[in-house]
Amino acid sequence: MRRKISSIALNVLLLMLGVITVYPFVWMLCSSFKKNSEIMALEQHLLPQEFILDNYVNMNAHFNFLRFFVNSLVITLVVTVLVVYTSTLCGFVLSKYRFKGRNLIFGFVLSTMMVPWCVTIIPKYSMIQSFGWMDSYKALIIPAMFSGFGIFMMKQHIASLPDEILEAARIDGANEFYIFQRIVFPMAKNGISSIAIFQFLWTWEDFLWPYLVINTQEKQLLAVGLKMFNGQYSTDYGALFAATAISIIPVLLIYLFFQKQFIAGIAASAVKG
Amino acid sequence: MKKRMIAAMMAATLAVIGLTGCGGSSDNKAADDTAKVEVPTEPFGDTIKYDPTVEINDGKDISVELWEWGSDDLFQQVIDGYTAIHPNVSIKLVNNPWEDYWTKLPLALDGENGPAIFNIHNSYHENLINYLAPLDIPVEDLQADFTGVDAHVIDGNVYYIDYGMMTGSVYYNKAMWEAAGLTEADIPKTWDEMREVAKKLTIKDGDKLIQAGLNFNDDFHQNYLLGLNYQLGENLFLEDGKTPNVNSDAMKQIMQMLVDMYEVDGVGSKDFGEKGSDSFGQGQSAMVIQWGHYYNTLKTTWSNIDFGVFEIPTFDGNPYAYNRYNGESTFGVNKNAPADQQAVAQDFIKYFLANDDAQIAFNLAMSTFPAKKSLADNEQILANPSLKVLSEHIDHYIWPGPMPATVETSLKKAGEDIFFNGVDIDTALNEAQENIIKDMKNSSFVSVENLYAYAK
Repeated sequence: MRRKISSIALNVLLLMLGVITVYPFVWMLCSSFKKNSEIMALEQHLLPQEFILDNYVNMNAHFNFLRFFVNSLVITLVVTVLVVYTSTLCGFVLSKYRFKGRNLIFGFVLSTMMVPWCVTIIPKYSMIQSFGWMDSYKALIIPAMFSGFGIFMMKQHIASLPDEILEAARIDGANEFYIFQRIVFPMAKNGISSIAIFQFLWTWEDFLWPYLVINTQEKQLLAVGLKMFNGQYSTDYGALFAATAISIIPVLLIYLFFQKQFIAGIAASAVKG
Repeated sequence: MKKRMIAAMMAATLAVIGLTGCGGSSDNKAADDTAKVEVPTEPFGDTIKYDPTVEINDGKDISVELWEWGSDDLFQQVIDGYTAIHPNVSIKLVNNPWEDYWTKLPLALDGENGPAIFNIHNSYHENLINYLAPLDIPVEDLQADFTGVDAHVIDGNVYYIDYGMMTGSVYYNKAMWEAAGLTEADIPKTWDEMREVAKKLTIKDGDKLIQAGLNFNDDFHQNYLLGLNYQLGENLFLEDGKTPNVNSDAMKQIMQMLVDMYEVDGVGSKDFGEKGSDSFGQGQSAMVIQWGHYYNTLKTTWSNIDFGVFEIPTFDGNPYAYNRYNGESTFGVNKNAPADQQAVAQDFIKYFLANDDAQIAFNLAMSTFPAKKSLADNEQILANPSLKVLSEHIDHYIWPGPMPATVETSLKKAGEDIFFNGVDIDTALNEAQENIIKDMKNSSFVSVENLYAYAK
């Protein structure tokens, strides 16, 4: 009986926390169908009193939404694939090979996670300028190809794979690259899913770096476009909410398809090592 | 299966957005507008004349960037007009979000690849001045055509000027005005009359405020404290142009009036709506004093409010100056840009200053009163009620210069201490004075109040 009561209490608490977490999102979604005057009205209603689609239909008035959306999708996918591959490769090397300086290299990788991004952004900007990569996707992709967090996660994850499997493959004549591609990569599926989701989300929502290095309107990314709704004196909240609602769909889709592996991957990286 | 259905629905939503969203692209609009541009063949302008027959860059192709925030269409119209005259020039418009523009712009100007032309706001004067090239137009010509140029002269050079002047006016709800039995004849000219009108517009249920006659929550510092001092003959800075004067008797009198309006007259309350501007839009307050940009906010966000505008009241009908104004600035030329790009930038700014249509369009878009003297009685300008009310006394408004933000924030804190924390007026304003002095220690700001046309 006591267990049942505590289970109900826990579920009620979790339900409340869930509602608190989700409510702002639901409010934003509902507000995307309201006029600005209703969004800012003194008397607030969750559901629109006057349902309008104008915010969605006129989204392009501020910027070319579809273009920005496709740009973001392409860059995010490219960066995610590259980070997944480089993180797995580095994680494999750091966890399964014994060589001098391995711990030093791993320590160096970890140290990159300790430096706040705001400290590195100015030197990074100067470097990109001197390389002549401004206003080019090279500036978005190349510096993002390696992730300290990704390498750390994948090292922890791959360490849990039995060495015997790799040895067996070597005895059967597989070279190291084959082992990585055909054995390690598929077996690290859960860890890869976690990194993929994290990296997709971070790249998708990154604002400052793309904003600083990309000037051409046609090349700009969606996170920057969403900021265009904030004017000097006022904000077009309806259009902002509509664009934001659409912009989170890819992230939701990614999470929807990889959630099982994501949770397994996070759990595995947390306990093994 | 359920997962696939949700995914399919989301994908369908994206597809619909893709199809509907493509329709109204600003790129298409810009392309349509280009076709309608008329190319002038004769020189135009007042003292600053633009001659469209003079080639730029010897007719050779050249491309420059113009960075701005705000309305793409507005800037694109000017660019289209200019490039129609000079088809060899291509101006790439780079739109930016307002807040982040000030992070990106100095970084870009520091290198060799920054924009040749960029939009300026005078509140960022100190961050930008070292990157600016002086305008290639004689100062006397600028002075002949535009007001407020003197305040922008630095060592005989002008780097940018104001194309428009923004200031505060009183916005009132016409339905509430009528319901209170008020007519056009009741529009107040003095603060005493204003307080009486505000009382009539106030509705209470017992002690509970239902409708505020006047609401200055969140903006009293911007719209009252930093401006009404001029009506009482006091500048915001002492004669040296650097020492603040915010604990003057004039400032104390204004602060006392604000306190009395809420606490003695009861025409509003510090707890009645977080922001006066929103409260007016929400139909809860009958009057607010707001700057010109509010006219556009009312037209877009609060389009259901039927409002009127009148000029800010004075204490005695014969003020030293009516209020403070701030300028909306013209573009700047990047002194680090290649010489050929700078030449195009200089020419483009000359075109912008000589072009009345561009001046009118920019002023109407920002609800600023034109700094160009010949446009002071322009029909299109005077058709905007928020500009019409300024037209009679526009020369009696003062720009103190690009004041550091601490002047505003310190006075805001002082007001909040008075209203919310029970601090007395003298103490709060003295603290604000000390705080501003401390914050401005390293500032190069010098007030230009002495350049006011009717300065004492």
